Amino acid sequence: MSSKILSVDDSKTIRMIVKRAFAPYDATVFEAANGEEGLAASLANKPDIIILDITMPVMDGVTMLTKLKENADLKNIPVIMLTAESGRENVAFIASLGVSDYLVKPFKDDQLIEKVKRVVALQPKTAAVVT
Amino acid sequence: MMPFDTLLEGSIQKIKTTNMTNTKTSLVEKVSELLQTSTAEVFRTMFSLETSPLPSDQLELSHRPLVAGSIGFIGEANGIVHVHVSSDFARTLASRMLGMAENEIDGDEMVNDVIGELSNMIVGAVKSQLCDMGNTCVLTIPAIVRGENISVSPTSSTEQSLLGFCCGNNHILIELQMKQST
Repeated sequence: MSSKILSVDDSKTIRMIVKRAFAPYDATVFEAANGEEGLAASLANKPDIIILDITMPVMDGVTMLTKLKENADLKNIPVIMLTAESGRENVAFIASLGVSDYLVKPFKDDQLIEKVKRVVALQPKTAAVVT
Repeated sequence: MMPFDTLLEGSIQKIKTTNMTNTKTSLVEKVSELLQTSTAEVFRTMFSLETSPLPSDQLELSHRPLVAGSIGFIGEANGIVHVHVSSDFARTLASRMLGMAENEIDGDEMVNDVIGELSNMIVGAVKSQLCDMGNTCVLTIPAIVRGENISVSPTSSTEQSLLGFCCGNNHILIELQMKQST
């Protein structure tokens, strides 16, 4: 069964990088540009994993994560936080949020794929599903 | 749950690799050192491009069309960083970061977004290390400036540093302006 990945980031560049990274896999990547859109996309699509930026307009990643954890239908969706800030306090703060993992920008596609594979059983695209 | 202690160790180790032991170094010099490291790291990781320091006699802004990503940090350290590249090189960078052919890059919006993200990554790494050094600060949102013959002038209360990198035949110029510490 195709994996469902939700990329929540206000940077279109990052969302495109995430989409490109998972192109070789049998995965559908949904996109949202802020936490509010991310919550709506989570409810609509029930993703297998969420790749979540922290600093975003409208609703930031921390608020979105808090609201996810408050929702019985969404609270068990694994979340990987994506951040440009690798400082000790920031890392400790992310760890305290109950996320599955985090990834510091800049990152390579392989690093992102490896972290997602720890949580989701990604399958390579077969000839039948290549679009 | 992931072993965050291990990840945190890695983060701290990465910070220790930067030589920050000379207490006589001014903050603007320290930030310049951090910018050197983070710029090389971002270009290597996100674009698979190696950079090398630009000779000091070539440290000037080109008269060709430029794209500059500007992002500041505010708090116990205050400054702004401008990352300048030629508009042609900006398009090449967008193509590499997004994995698209240059002719698929549609208009300036995608290029602007990539240069904004590039600036965010470079300055985000510097901001993190400033915070770890006890200079707590936050980043401003990035802005993009396009034009020819761009010149950025510091005010009397700021210190300025100009860094340059070669990347193949292209140049990357990074201007740092910091409010003088009191």
